[in-house]
Amino acid sequence: MMNRKRRVGALLVAAITVIASGTFVDAQGFKTKPPTPADWSALAKLPDFSGVWEAVTVGRGGGAGRAGGPPRGPQLTPAYAEKKRALEGRRAEDNETANCLPPGMPGVMGQPYPYEFMLTPGKVTIVGEAYMQVRHIYTDGRPMPTDPDPTFNGTSIGRWEGDTLVVETIAFSDTTNMDRNTPHSDKMKIVERFRLTEPDRMTIETTVTDPEALMAPWTTTRTLARHRDWTTREYICEENNRNYVDAQGKAGINLKDSPAEKKEQE
Amino acid sequence: MRKVLVIAAVIAAASSTSPIASAHHSFAAFDMTAEKTITGVVKKVDWTNPHIWIWVDVTESSGATETYGFEGMTPNFLSRRGWTRSSMQPGMKVSVTFRPMKDGKPGGMFVSGTLPDGKVLTMRGGETGQ
Repeated sequence: MMNRKRRVGALLVAAITVIASGTFVDAQGFKTKPPTPADWSALAKLPDFSGVWEAVTVGRGGGAGRAGGPPRGPQLTPAYAEKKRALEGRRAEDNETANCLPPGMPGVMGQPYPYEFMLTPGKVTIVGEAYMQVRHIYTDGRPMPTDPDPTFNGTSIGRWEGDTLVVETIAFSDTTNMDRNTPHSDKMKIVERFRLTEPDRMTIETTVTDPEALMAPWTTTRTLARHRDWTTREYICEENNRNYVDAQGKAGINLKDSPAEKKEQE
Repeated sequence: MRKVLVIAAVIAAASSTSPIASAHHSFAAFDMTAEKTITGVVKKVDWTNPHIWIWVDVTESSGATETYGFEGMTPNFLSRRGWTRSSMQPGMKVSVTFRPMKDGKPGGMFVSGTLPDGKVLTMRGGETGQ
């Protein structure tokens, strides 16, 4: 008991010392410094990604990024092609997003909803309106953590190559898929290249690699348009979700507590 | 013909193998090959995520009243394309065109609605299944 207290005390002293020095050091020795006025000014030299963006194809009755024909799907290794066949064999009518579970990467970037980009010193933050998802992309030079916990949107590190933001993301939850009925291994890596092609047009080139699941890198491109007059809106999927998919993959509509159901009970 | 093409595009989008796939849910609960139109009085509008729901009281041929539920797009999409939470209001007599639910429950996927003043509301090209 005393030992634990003493340990906590020592940690506190260490933490206070770090805070007092204005520098934070992570497990890999990377120092995080508070932003200076010069750091804020330096943002003005970067391409202006600020504001709310949406894929150009949203609302046109088709999916995004399909100009020029259907995109090439991922070329799976025999083992993962077999996994995909098995999943397709279930003939699931829907996936867990119907139950409000976010899709994770890369699907979270393919939504028919807007994205808001925010640049602050050493960081790019992307808010995806669908499922109210947030991606934290560190551009302060820190290294990729050696063994991050698997998460839906992964762990991202970014860097600027001229006017292109290059983002590398690893460590994805095994409950998400790289594509429909297509699982990924724990070695999946996603590299995204964001750049402005016109003042209010952005392209995102996304390349997925996975030495266990993919025979070759899988690259897709999406074009977003900026809407200066838009704001992102709240999206609480659980607010009134009447769609569902059950454990057997059967999709349906739930009328519980609806005016229709109440009518039936009257 | 144009309508058929749009529907085909929507279905193709929903079944694509791109990571850019349809969001939230598939069209599996709806009969996408059928289209019905009914007339009734708006009982309630749920201007909610992930989808709006428009509840309409319909007098059946038997004389009984049935409440139909129609699923539309998200208010996020619609509010950027001309809809407001009061575009359809309780008490309005409307006719609604929809894709019926496969399980036979009264209602389906909202395609379009005609208001008392003749104005037609659609999902503005949105994929209702999203």
